[in-house]
Amino acid sequence: MYRAIVLFLLAFPALGHEMTPTYPKFKPSHVEGVFKAELEMFNKRKDVEFYEIGVFDADWNPVQFVSRYKVMRLDYLSHVRFDIYVSAMDVPVAEYVCSVSKLRENSDKKPMIATRICSKFKP
Amino acid sequence: MKKILLACLIAGTAQAAEIPIEGTVQSRCLINTDVAGVYGNPNAYTLTTTPADGGVLPIVRYDVSLADAYKARITYPTAFSASPSLSDMVTWTGSVTVSEVSAVGMADYQTDSITYDQTREYDLTATGTTWFQVASTATYGGGGNKAFPGGTYRSVVVAECIAQ
Repeated sequence: MYRAIVLFLLAFPALGHEMTPTYPKFKPSHVEGVFKAELEMFNKRKDVEFYEIGVFDADWNPVQFVSRYKVMRLDYLSHVRFDIYVSAMDVPVAEYVCSVSKLRENSDKKPMIATRICSKFKP
Repeated sequence: MKKILLACLIAGTAQAAEIPIEGTVQSRCLINTDVAGVYGNPNAYTLTTTPADGGVLPIVRYDVSLADAYKARITYPTAFSASPSLSDMVTWTGSVTVSEVSAVGMADYQTDSITYDQTREYDLTATGTTWFQVASTATYGGGGNKAFPGGTYRSVVVAECIAQ
């Protein structure tokens, strides 16, 4: 039985990328005129160590934001909770926050799939 | 003494019974790269993921736990992310298809999808798992069937899950 499970796991390695929540909300931060949203990311991709965060408007134009890291290292099977900060002026136009996997050019694992997950801000 | 021991046992049992296990289920989209693709080289001027030509089709799995909340957008490659120096033109073709679904409500995903440029977009209207396979072919020489220079070739499929 255990052998069967091990073989199954080897045959279908977990290689996933997840970001929650689907609909984050802005709330006031400790800085006046700046709002923050809290997000969480989980890396189940063994072939990816770095993810880049971006904030966009409805037409996919970049919106200015601040986060601790714009490109964050996330080890395999690790969770990270992170905040993004957007000025009050940009809150109405910020529509999406996305994380995209960063693939290494010289990786010996030869990834062929880049993953990108976008959550949508809801008032 | 016996009474004290009994009281301790009851207290211990009561404590153990109250250990909580908590969990929350959030709506989410998880993109899994089930199979990373490999280019086969059936002749000198073609690289293809077609299994009959020695390639492996990349397979992307989407796990969605909230219906009507996400769109899947999958784009097949139009350039190499790594290759030897190429002096001639590369012609790219590709396709994205639903290869497997976990729920009856996903049966029409392929017919209901829309396509533009190299991208196919699906409304993920049901909860569950959908598998997509991506085909990619690169031909060298701009119709002149020129041989690809020796080396490693790599390209990237982009799989996106966008909240709507």
